[in-house]
Amino acid sequence: MAEVSAGQVAQLAVLFERHHRALFRYFVSMSGHREAAEDLVQDVFFRILRYRTSYNPAQSFTAWMYQIARNAGVDQVRKQGAVQVVDIDTFAERRAELVSASPGPEENASRGQDLALLRRAMGQLPEDKREILVLSRFQRMKHEDIAEVLGCEVGTVKVRVYRAIRALEQIYFALVKEKVEKEKVS
Amino acid sequence: MTCEEAKNRMTDYWSLTLGAAEREDFTAHLASCEACRSDVSRIGALWQGLDLLPLEEPSGQVRERFYEMLGAYRQGLASAEARPVRRWWTMPAWQMAAAAVLLAAGLGIGYGARGNGQPPAEISQLREEVASMRQLVALSLMQQQSASERLKGVSWSYQVEPSDTEVLNALVTTVRHDPNVNVRLAAVDALRPFTGSPVTHLTARNAVVQALPKETSPIVQVALIDFLAELKERNAAPELRRLVSDPDIDVGVRNRAEWALERMQ
Repeated sequence: MAEVSAGQVAQLAVLFERHHRALFRYFVSMSGHREAAEDLVQDVFFRILRYRTSYNPAQSFTAWMYQIARNAGVDQVRKQGAVQVVDIDTFAERRAELVSASPGPEENASRGQDLALLRRAMGQLPEDKREILVLSRFQRMKHEDIAEVLGCEVGTVKVRVYRAIRALEQIYFALVKEKVEKEKVS
Repeated sequence: MTCEEAKNRMTDYWSLTLGAAEREDFTAHLASCEACRSDVSRIGALWQGLDLLPLEEPSGQVRERFYEMLGAYRQGLASAEARPVRRWWTMPAWQMAAAAVLLAAGLGIGYGARGNGQPPAEISQLREEVASMRQLVALSLMQQQSASERLKGVSWSYQVEPSDTEVLNALVTTVRHDPNVNVRLAAVDALRPFTGSPVTHLTARNAVVQALPKETSPIVQVALIDFLAELKERNAAPELRRLVSDPDIDVGVRNRAEWALERMQ
């Protein structure tokens, strides 16, 4: 990024290749919409170019990039005038894709259903909890970088990640319970 | 270690990022606290389970659009660097205002200097400045996130020279990939001037031919068909025949394709 900041904008391609997938997954996790996520990835890299001279090389590039990503996401929501919610049906449709090479079809189906519930639970998490979990668990960001992105202390990040996974657990088990009860009725 | 401290270290424990001493303290606490032990086991399974969720992959268009954007940006930057005081050009409002002022100044100077035979060098330079600025405005607006800004960018493309390949490429990208129907429709129309230039006519014609099979909006399909009929573009005949014979295609599009085929013969 230091080279991009110094005017070698072609070097942005290296950063794009390194980060665009993770960035895309962050936006998909936050909005549930692939097309919007692709537009936002484009927007983030355009903003990186535009604001490249404001980058401080002493700062973590990942943290800086996710700060831009958050702003881009907020701007998009403002423009659309409504908060996009995660499309639960989309998650359900993807259930079949969740199954990987496990021993038998029954086990596959059961595991696929569990993962679908887990994904639904992620979708039902409040946005702030989902975001911190995505940054920590899926983006595998250091607590220090997350603290920089969110503008809080490292200790606060640890507390919030724990609370987020606890909240996910509660939603997940509520969904599991709901599913078991439905199966009993039918 | 208290339970509160242990809770704040759990995610580090699951992620294997605890230091040796902290890990030792943590496991010692677990040995003596059943509640935390249960948390680590139960929530830890969920933490690990998140790894099994499938990873979303972006489409190839993301990469394609990025490199197009980077190319246009570098081109704009190269033009701007040739003239030092231009950093404020990155703002579309300034670009438009400056273009208008320079255009008026150019016209004024041109009017004052008429009758001198050869145009003075300053006027040629001003013309180049105006042309370059129009190009930058068009390219910059077509990269904006807002559809109305992109629409303005398409309108600005009418003010560049029809031999301007940079703007043509940006229009072609818009016709192929812009998510907004109105922007795509405007971009199809904006390709017309480029079909009259010996430098760009082939690219423009091919862009229209290649856009038709990928287009899904009936109104844009009709615009493309009209354009192809106007150009008498025979390379589009197979695709037009496919549209005519496809029962799932909008009836208006089918009729228009049939009309275009007749007109080409």
